[in-house]
Amino acid sequence: MINLNVNGQSVDIDASPETPLLWALRDELQLTGTRFGCGAGMCGACTVHIDGEARFACQTRIGDVGEGRITTIEGLHPEGDHAVQRAWIAEQVPQCGYCQSGQIMRAAALLARTPNPSRQEILDEMSANLCRCGTYPRIIRAIERAAQEG
Amino acid sequence: MTLQDITTSRRGFLRGSGALSFALLSGGGLGVVADGAEAQAVADGRVTAWVTITADDRMTIMFGAAEMGQGVNTSLPMIIAEELDADWSTVSVRQVDSDPDGVYGNPGFGGNLFAAGSSSLEGYYSALRQAGAQARQILVQTAAAHWGVPPREVTTREGAVIHDGSGRTMRYGEVAALPEPVTTVSQIAEDDLKPRAEWRIMGTDVERLDSPGKTVGAPLYSIDVTVPGMFYAVQLLAPVEGETPTIISDAATRAVPGVEDVVVMDHAVAVLARSFWSAVTGRDALEVSWSSDSAFRNADSAGELSILAEAADDMAADPVIWEARGDAEGALAEGEEVITAHYLTEHVYHAQMEPLNAVASVDEDGLGAEVWLGSQSQTVSIGIAAGTLGTSPDRIRYHAMQMGGGFGRRTVFARDLLRDALLLSKAVGRPVKLVWTREDDVKNGWLRPATVQRLDARLDENGTLAALRHRIAAPSIFEFAFPDRWNPETRRDVLVMEGSESAEYDIPDFAAQHVLVPRQSRVSAWRGIGWAPNCFARECFLDELAERAGSDPVTFRRQLLSGTPRALAVFDAAVEMSDFGNAPEGRAHGLAFAGYKATLATGVAEVSIEDGQLRVHRFWAAVDPGIVIHPQQYRAQVEGGVLFGLSSVLRERTTFTGGEIDQSNFYDYEPIRIQDVPEIEVRLVESGHPPSGGGEIGVPMAAPAIANAVRVLTGTTPRQLPFPQFDA
Repeated sequence: MINLNVNGQSVDIDASPETPLLWALRDELQLTGTRFGCGAGMCGACTVHIDGEARFACQTRIGDVGEGRITTIEGLHPEGDHAVQRAWIAEQVPQCGYCQSGQIMRAAALLARTPNPSRQEILDEMSANLCRCGTYPRIIRAIERAAQEG
Repeated sequence: MTLQDITTSRRGFLRGSGALSFALLSGGGLGVVADGAEAQAVADGRVTAWVTITADDRMTIMFGAAEMGQGVNTSLPMIIAEELDADWSTVSVRQVDSDPDGVYGNPGFGGNLFAAGSSSLEGYYSALRQAGAQARQILVQTAAAHWGVPPREVTTREGAVIHDGSGRTMRYGEVAALPEPVTTVSQIAEDDLKPRAEWRIMGTDVERLDSPGKTVGAPLYSIDVTVPGMFYAVQLLAPVEGETPTIISDAATRAVPGVEDVVVMDHAVAVLARSFWSAVTGRDALEVSWSSDSAFRNADSAGELSILAEAADDMAADPVIWEARGDAEGALAEGEEVITAHYLTEHVYHAQMEPLNAVASVDEDGLGAEVWLGSQSQTVSIGIAAGTLGTSPDRIRYHAMQMGGGFGRRTVFARDLLRDALLLSKAVGRPVKLVWTREDDVKNGWLRPATVQRLDARLDENGTLAALRHRIAAPSIFEFAFPDRWNPETRRDVLVMEGSESAEYDIPDFAAQHVLVPRQSRVSAWRGIGWAPNCFARECFLDELAERAGSDPVTFRRQLLSGTPRALAVFDAAVEMSDFGNAPEGRAHGLAFAGYKATLATGVAEVSIEDGQLRVHRFWAAVDPGIVIHPQQYRAQVEGGVLFGLSSVLRERTTFTGGEIDQSNFYDYEPIRIQDVPEIEVRLVESGHPPSGGGEIGVPMAAPAIANAVRVLTGTTPRQLPFPQFDA
């Protein structure tokens, strides 16, 4: 049994310590907002926060998380009203939506660390996350809006 | 148009249940569906009704086309809501899961529920306007009868009926709750539909109804579905098409905690477990030997490209004449100087972000099932499910799920997953969620086939394009994907050849030809379908011809487009908005005209090459969608299409050796990332032509515009997709 702190709650997971956090979240805790895209840390669809930093859940073994505070898209804001989420709706970013949880989590971590990022800082940070629909231009605009409107 | 009285085929009256539903009947008319039981049935999705209005003034509008990101869940209901004069703030929408009565299918797609080829707005527009207008008439007439006034004195405004003479108004919800609705309504004449000047919903940027859910990680996709008692399944798939497992050692797999079963299939060995990760761990422990006699063991992408090149040049081949105007063969054989060029497009993979998956729960008798699937066609998927179980479609309870990207991959081309999930569920007597890993998805991709395109042209003494032959060597997608609909006599493949017609160009002697070669991989449609590779070849060639003619890309094309005002308008718009030809120092502009069916567009790319690195800085797209329903989301589709096309320019390439795809995941098949993205400006140039789709149109214009800009910089057109490396 592995104990994790997920979205402010202590939960016990009955799985091997080798299990990727992604699958513990999705299959054991039914937190399916964290998406499976590649399982290789190449697409960022599974991005969550551990102690506020963006991490690939597919590359994080639950046995290695320890006391780390895990935040998923479901826990980013209780009403889904985080500045990044508001900006995402204002800029009408999502198309298919599948990558957007990961995009939003990475953007939120960026803004927590760098409240007014330059365009280049946005590109550098967000280059970890793929979007096949091509919402990139709107992702950039939404992050700039969230930084302004905070 | 003759007025045709339609009498409701269902309940003839309401009993004060407070719910009013409007069913567009298969004959094209509208009926009222009412009473408590039927209202509940509507909520359950079993009654074919486009609109339901309840006493609390909420309105539910159904949409038929499956949602994969293109926004039909908002744009299609907007059409009904407009004619219904609805209050958009009261509207919610619901995806149609199935269509047993033939009511919801796309009239422009054979009456099927099938979202592909940018066909939804185009196909549904007239039918949905009619449905909305008729529903409005029922509300008007019901209110008029209630008030005892002539219906012509009753008007509507934003979800309310109004009688100006007496100052009375009712919300639609109040009308729906009246005890005696009018149930007979006439077909609305075209001239009585809402004039454009009075539109309040269509043509505006209402918020997409699915945006909130998509920003909080709502469980929308089939991969998120959990069914009680469900097993997770993964497959060790045959490395080469046509091979079967021969020797299987699964003892170590069965010893993995959580693994429940191992099922041998004709093309795979499946591991079923209590969790996905247990299933994957169990799969890693499998030892399987495979048969080795499949002809696809000899498949090789490099070899296929050579065969395509030979086929394109084989004038003794027997091509399909896809399109012919005048006499291109004669004109090119007259001994005048013929200009020839070859273009190559390599195999590409869809890379939709949600890996393919399917959830199925087969009934105890094995002759029915509940299915959750992200598919571009409910009609096709229900047919596949019924066929797999040897049952009738009414035994399939189908849930059409939001797709995590489609791009062509999730049409008939995703049938294997659905079939296998059903077979596995039947085998183990449990609901099964079958998920492909990214590696499975890449290695078992159904690729856009490679093409080699040979173009031959002759210019007349004025330097005008007099004759063009566009000859495309490629395997048939249609023959592979739809074998029962393939006509071996005519061999016409719309998925390969569409977009080669040069329909807007006035070329006296023209021919488009398809030289078929046997496929060496699984092949399918990819966003942009045939238009993307075919426009790439033609638009690059036109720039090369313009130079030979001593002309320039703008003048040369304007002359050819002079008979098509819509095309000229969009072309001129792109030239103007980009200030074409006046790129900043070190950069160059290239342009391409591209159609996609009724949608016309022109794209301009601003490009530089520094230290061997190609960079697209800006992209301008002028697009004529006829009439635009949702401008902001239309622009989003064009932006996405341009980026899809840019990605195919920069590095997308699938190769295979010995029948096995060489790539595995996003580290060796990498679509573009955010730092590759140019500034994109989209201008919608509405001609008033009936609305046409926007999902594909960005793709065909992107690659040739970029290639033509590269030609300005380097003097050489990169005649292949993806582009070759540039010297540092």
